[in-house]
Amino acid sequence: MTAEVIQCSLVIVTVTAGSAGAQRSSSEPLWRALAAFRFASVGYAAVRLGFIDRAEYSRPDWAWAVIAVMAVWTVVTTIGYTRRGRRSQLLVADLIVTVGLLLSTTGLQHPDATVHGALPVTATWMAGPVLAWAIRYGRRAGAIVGLIVAGCDFALLRGAALSTALNGAVLLLLAGWVVGHLARLAAEVQAERQHAIEVEAASRERERLARDIHDSVLQVLALVQRRGAEAGGAAAELGRLAGQQEAALRALMGESWAGSRATGASGDADLRQLVLPAQTDRVTVSVPAQAVVLERTAAAELTAAMRAALDNVRQHCGEQTRAWVLVEDEPDLIRVTIRDDGPGIPDGRLAEAAAAGRFGISHSISGRLRDLGGSATISSIAGEGTEVELRLPRVANIPVAASPGTA
Amino acid sequence: MVVDDHPMWRDAVARDLAEAGYEVVATAADGAQAMRVAGAARPDVVVLDLQLPDMSGVEVTRGLQAAHPAVRVLVLSASGEQQDVLDAVKAGALGYLLKSAARPEFLDAVRRTADGDAVFTPGLAALVLGEFRRLSAAPAEADSGVPRLSERETEILRMVATGMSYKQIASRLVLSHRTVQNHVQNTLGKLQLHNRVELVRYAIEHGLAGEFEAGE
Repeated sequence: MTAEVIQCSLVIVTVTAGSAGAQRSSSEPLWRALAAFRFASVGYAAVRLGFIDRAEYSRPDWAWAVIAVMAVWTVVTTIGYTRRGRRSQLLVADLIVTVGLLLSTTGLQHPDATVHGALPVTATWMAGPVLAWAIRYGRRAGAIVGLIVAGCDFALLRGAALSTALNGAVLLLLAGWVVGHLARLAAEVQAERQHAIEVEAASRERERLARDIHDSVLQVLALVQRRGAEAGGAAAELGRLAGQQEAALRALMGESWAGSRATGASGDADLRQLVLPAQTDRVTVSVPAQAVVLERTAAAELTAAMRAALDNVRQHCGEQTRAWVLVEDEPDLIRVTIRDDGPGIPDGRLAEAAAAGRFGISHSISGRLRDLGGSATISSIAGEGTEVELRLPRVANIPVAASPGTA
Repeated sequence: MVVDDHPMWRDAVARDLAEAGYEVVATAADGAQAMRVAGAARPDVVVLDLQLPDMSGVEVTRGLQAAHPAVRVLVLSASGEQQDVLDAVKAGALGYLLKSAARPEFLDAVRRTADGDAVFTPGLAALVLGEFRRLSAAPAEADSGVPRLSERETEILRMVATGMSYKQIASRLVLSHRTVQNHVQNTLGKLQLHNRVELVRYAIEHGLAGEFEAGE
């Protein structure tokens, strides 16, 4: 066995397959590379028989017949392997035919041919089923078939040339292993690529939708809201509804954007994404331009407290009261201020209510903030509305990413 | 001059302005057109939508300010574009208003912009507050000259950001209306000045200084 020859063929197969790996279906390029390898091997076997090993053959005419069968079988397998359905039967047949042709060498060559360095009549062609099994079933199947073929090769030996044959066997084994590995790798890369393409397409579609909605629906809703408010009466109600829908739709788009951008691994959330949906025609939510990053559950609790404060405004001051929410991200604390322009709370009434446990603020707002390690203060001037201030210190949950470069 | 890519909005805004006695000298559907038309039409106020098909409202603001420093820009935007709004204001826009703002509010904003007063909505006040905090939190360089808000300015901005009118703030702090307005205006001025300084520094650091000198 000439080890270099198999080595060269292997390199060809590997390189061809590797460069084709990026194409559509992961294993198709490998099958094509295998076909190329087999045709080339038939040619090489013919050259061995016709020139190099000519003197070693006792029955060259039968040997040429074997070469012819190899050529025909190569065509059959090349066509057969493109049909996905029948591959497994063909793989078994391929192995049997190849081993049979390999063993036919016994009757064709002089008994001492291998001692003179002659190859079996199939030459490198015998690696075909090894590679085919590897492509189809992975590296383990490739290695096992490699062992079978190598075993048959050993059976042809007549005492000498053991070390070169051993070399060939190892190469067959490695070929099965490596190509099987390559096939699986190609399949994985293919799957990953497919996934990435799907994700990208989905997010692009989402952004396109959001843009379209922004350009059309939201603009019209805003316009209806504005015109309705001016017209008054029933139209004002329509305008108000349009405004609510606009806010709701906008919040939905914001969420889907935030969702597609979510970095996943960390448990941090941008507080802005949570509080901005509270914006309505009566409530103005103002936030900084930078993300206000804090731990996810803390952000959710803070948002819940803010919603409770807004609910209070609606309950105690009526639907028409306007409210403003301000989110501030200071180095050592996050502050959310909720102010309304309602009648305010008369002096003493608040303390009295809190003592009696009646007022919602002590439970749903102060309680939440206390649990988070923060505090809530409420202040009111009669006739000038009420201001609730939620303060959450950034001690425990300072995110590393949010405090850049102090080093 | 009204710049908006949405014809329905453009017409509605232009009509509102015309009804209120303003002369709409031009309308434009995109940034390039806006820059082209502004030279000929010489508008006092540009009402600018932040989302344009060809270039961002920030770039249009910067371009208009560079070519026609006298033009005053009022930015109209949908919510959820905080960074763009902030950038536009730093680039020289005088104010910003949500598109859903009612007509009187809008006309008032145009009037104030025409007078050269900053139009500070609660949203803009929050953005400016946030920007000053970001600047002061950034790693300190020796001579960075990072602008800071005075305590009074911070206090006033926070009040604006929670929806208080200048009048309410003035009476709460026992100041004159004009003083409150000046404080607010100052904060914006500091930010715009800082932005210009940063741009020049950027230009120098990136080797554009030679061109500046050659141009002088």
